[in-house]
Amino acid sequence: MAYPLGALMINAGLAMCLAGALSFGMLACVSKIAERKKCDPSALVVGLFGWAALLMLLRTLTLAGSVRISWRVVAVAILFGIFAAVATFAFQRSIEIGNVTVGWLIMNLSAGVPTLISLWAYSEKFTLLKLIAFGLAGLSLCLLFQGNRLEAREREASSRVGP
Amino acid sequence: MKISNKVLWLLLMLVILLTNGMSSFGLRVLSGWGLPADIKFPYLTIWYTAGFACIGIPMLLRGVRGDAKSAGWSALMAALSIAGQVAMANALNSGLPGNVVFPVTIGGSILVVAVAGRLFFSEKMHPLSWTGIAIGFVAVILLGVS
Repeated sequence: MAYPLGALMINAGLAMCLAGALSFGMLACVSKIAERKKCDPSALVVGLFGWAALLMLLRTLTLAGSVRISWRVVAVAILFGIFAAVATFAFQRSIEIGNVTVGWLIMNLSAGVPTLISLWAYSEKFTLLKLIAFGLAGLSLCLLFQGNRLEAREREASSRVGP
Repeated sequence: MKISNKVLWLLLMLVILLTNGMSSFGLRVLSGWGLPADIKFPYLTIWYTAGFACIGIPMLLRGVRGDAKSAGWSALMAALSIAGQVAMANALNSGLPGNVVFPVTIGGSILVVAVAGRLFFSEKMHPLSWTGIAIGFVAVILLGVS
């Protein structure tokens, strides 16, 4: 049975989406495993960024033509690279004292911040869907923070009772 | 001054919320400047190097030394991070729209972590936290679609 090329491409695209989901999910799981193996969070972040920088440098060197970058691009790269490293370090540190699921969700909910800034800086449209997404994100954060408070209280109570 | 784990966790969540999303905003700035697509490779090389130095320099000053175990795990983390990015780029190149690719990839990764957290890491959570995760999952998908 022959499939049209377009359908095959879409199926391959969906398979790639699932591979992406699995890779990112595994990334968070490997972070947790490394934490359980008592790896230092800063050493892990330095290693992660070091390896990735090396791979990106190799990719840059194999580009066909030479790419000229201006100082303003360098400045933007440095600023947002620092943001990324601080976020990764905070995530790695947070899973020592909290749940990896919650940390990973907050990492992904943080996508709302640049969306908000884009609305203001690039005068993008504020749609009903965005309004609902922000409302749900806010509600989710409130529930996660309250849930964490109750979990901490339960842990304190159970440690006071003792064996 | 010693801060409790509860306060530290809240502070770390706040830091993640404010910095992680912003870390990818640079690519939005570049696209606003109308630069060629190939610029992203040298851009990301500097981006990763800046992150490397930002955590590496204080680590050196504190006298913390990396070990083979951390180097191995971080290499696996780097490979998974790049594999995820490549898979997402290939999905976009296959013709799937971004409002399908981003929610499926990001939402799927949250499901993977939630299942692994429960099954492999025995994470116990309050029902309120599970409700927060379910609502957050929907919010992330809507953010991707919008």
